[in-house]
Amino acid sequence: MTRFTRLAAAAALGALMGTTAMAQELFTPNLAYRTGPFAATGIPLMNGQADYMTMLNNRDGGIGGVKVNFEECETGYSTEKGVECYEKTKGKAIVTQPWSTGITLQVLPKSNVDEIPILAPGYGFSPMADGTVFQWAFNTPSSYWDGASMILQYLEQNGGLDGKKIAFLHLDHPYGKEPIPYLEQQAEEKGFEMVPIPVGLKEMQNQSAQWLQIRRERPDYVVMWGWGAMNAGAITEAVKTKFPMENMIGVWWAGHDADLKIVGEEGAGYKSISWSFPNPDAPVLADIQKHVVDEGLTQSNAEEMKGVFYNRGLVISMILAEGIRTAQEHFEEPEVSAEQLRWGLENLNITEARLDELGMTGMVPPFATSCADHTGHSGGWMTEWDGEKFVKVSDHLMPDSESIRPLEEAKAAEYAEANAPWPVNEECSATN
Amino acid sequence: MLYRTAGQFKTSYQADQALFPVRQDAVLLGLILLLAWVIFPLVASEFAFQTLLIPILIYALAALGLNILTGYAGQLSLGTAAFMGVGAYACYKLVTLMPWLNPVVAILLSGAFSAGVGVAFGIPSLRIKGFYLAIATLAAQFFLVWLFEKWGWLYNYNASGAIQVPNLEMFGVYVAGPQASSTVQYFVVLGVVTLLTLVCINLTRGNLGRTWKATRDMDIAAELIGINLMRSKLTAFAISSYVVGVAGALFVFMWRGAAEPNLFDIPLSFRILFIAIIGGLGSILGNYLGAILIVGLPVVLNTLPEALGLPISSATVEHLNIMIVGSLIIFFLIIEPHGLARLWALIREKLIIWPFPY
Repeated sequence: MTRFTRLAAAAALGALMGTTAMAQELFTPNLAYRTGPFAATGIPLMNGQADYMTMLNNRDGGIGGVKVNFEECETGYSTEKGVECYEKTKGKAIVTQPWSTGITLQVLPKSNVDEIPILAPGYGFSPMADGTVFQWAFNTPSSYWDGASMILQYLEQNGGLDGKKIAFLHLDHPYGKEPIPYLEQQAEEKGFEMVPIPVGLKEMQNQSAQWLQIRRERPDYVVMWGWGAMNAGAITEAVKTKFPMENMIGVWWAGHDADLKIVGEEGAGYKSISWSFPNPDAPVLADIQKHVVDEGLTQSNAEEMKGVFYNRGLVISMILAEGIRTAQEHFEEPEVSAEQLRWGLENLNITEARLDELGMTGMVPPFATSCADHTGHSGGWMTEWDGEKFVKVSDHLMPDSESIRPLEEAKAAEYAEANAPWPVNEECSATN
Repeated sequence: MLYRTAGQFKTSYQADQALFPVRQDAVLLGLILLLAWVIFPLVASEFAFQTLLIPILIYALAALGLNILTGYAGQLSLGTAAFMGVGAYACYKLVTLMPWLNPVVAILLSGAFSAGVGVAFGIPSLRIKGFYLAIATLAAQFFLVWLFEKWGWLYNYNASGAIQVPNLEMFGVYVAGPQASSTVQYFVVLGVVTLLTLVCINLTRGNLGRTWKATRDMDIAAELIGINLMRSKLTAFAISSYVVGVAGALFVFMWRGAAEPNLFDIPLSFRILFIAIIGGLGSILGNYLGAILIVGLPVVLNTLPEALGLPISSATVEHLNIMIVGSLIIFFLIIEPHGLARLWALIREKLIIWPFPY
């Protein structure tokens, strides 16, 4: 009985403290996935995101003097759990970080009603770039179509595209299908042949049928839109079938160090386009070491912290933090609302100088957003696995906005029409 | 004491065969209906609507459909999710091809497509039984999900391959899509579920239900006493698939708002089968109890640590949750292998003779 009373007292105290701590904070929940089939790729990203916010809280006392409450809600990458988390947090959240294309698709139509910005850095629906239509959604700094465009440009610079054959190995899922409209359009324009090869969710670990097809088709390049277990499966299969690794290029989610470590040296030459890159000498990492790791507040480890994904997590949290800071400065209000944060994310200006100030030099290309452009189109770098780690092998590549923009606008308009009545930002369309 | 039946005399056959011969049962149901129709909508939060009330009702309806086939007619099916998918895609095509159609009518109509597909895949049941039939329905499961992925017309050639629910109006109120309010959606779901439950209770009590039960208990004996097995099995497939299809349409249109083909894959089939088994095969009430345990309980458990102020990380809660729900399932199945509905039946019997058991 005494134990029960003590427990009850502790619970009551906890509840009390919970309410007092809520007095002034920025509630930015993260729909994390540290469990489930995609946990291996999720954990480093989540750790990076959380560590950056913990660092801000400990070093600067939050953003603009207000602590960030970076609570995680576990989804296990399941859309159903994701929606549950969204409903749970939307009451006081100023941002939604859905973390899966499936959850993004669910939450996107509700964004106009609930009026909470969705921050989906480097994932989600590519046409979200059209900020006049998708007023509440942000996929900074790069969309999937940007990624596809950058890969094509890299190939064009290194051997040309005309008359070539590209096998597009992708997850048979909304995420994997994202770049197909753009690739189809480009195939016609640039004169290459695109062969889509889908990998079902159940076949992720065993892709022998797909690689048999690749051997039969003899493509010049394999472009991969994979996630989770699919990447490791494809890379091991490529090594096994002796596909020349230097002709295999993945999207940024297919550039996870742990997937390549399985094959090690034999994977050398594998490439991945990326809008983020680890910079071990960046001052931000020293700060994290001092304020987070040494305090014992991280769930990460030294090995993981060197990886591409952990560092991408840092960049993602930086984008959110900068959005909050921009809003705070503009509205002169430390505790920004969801509406104000939307303005902040819409008016991001991450310059080279600002990156130096943040101690993140070289970790992400500079970019800026506007009310019409919710992506920022930062461009990125081609990275290559050298047998031990990813290294940069290209200069800063920029996506071909001229070919992407009309497609974005067309698809965004299509979406708005299918979901009518869908309010668009008239004010913004008028000024642009 | 509360459940004493003494003094409730039946003076006509009609009274004896009433839906609830025991007055207390009727009162209890009345209370539950009052709770569902009046109290919940008044007090429930958006979170409760979206994560507890609406999904529990929809899952219970899907399990009810499966229960007709598996629990009443004895035909094991592993293709429930695919039939739900047929309902959902049919509803999507109906409302996009005919935007003027009343959404509730579209939902009820979409069950008919699912019933047709169900009958087609039910034909093998005339020749094969038991586990072999389960494999045949498994084929339906794989084939249909493949079809949802490959047949572009089904999702209007959408680039993402997913279906998105448009905003649908009924009498000037949004009932589906992002603009719809949760309360409205809850009432639509509740209305459809109540209606179909009532239909199913009466079906299973009537002539058709008796032929199903005879088929389930011993099909050769049933045939010998003059039951047409083909009719019995195929009507079970048709009605079951209809209910499952309507549940699928509600699932996407009244709750999820968007769906990709993968949603209707085998894990969902298993989930519904578990609800039916844990709730109790061959019962109507069991589906609701099972859905509360499997769909509702994890959500409640997830919010507990935060409500109590315990500092446990979200991922740990998720792990704990899986363990707790798993052990509860085992616990309930050990104390009553026939499911929660049977457990309630036992409690009720004890209550009737309490406090003087013979």
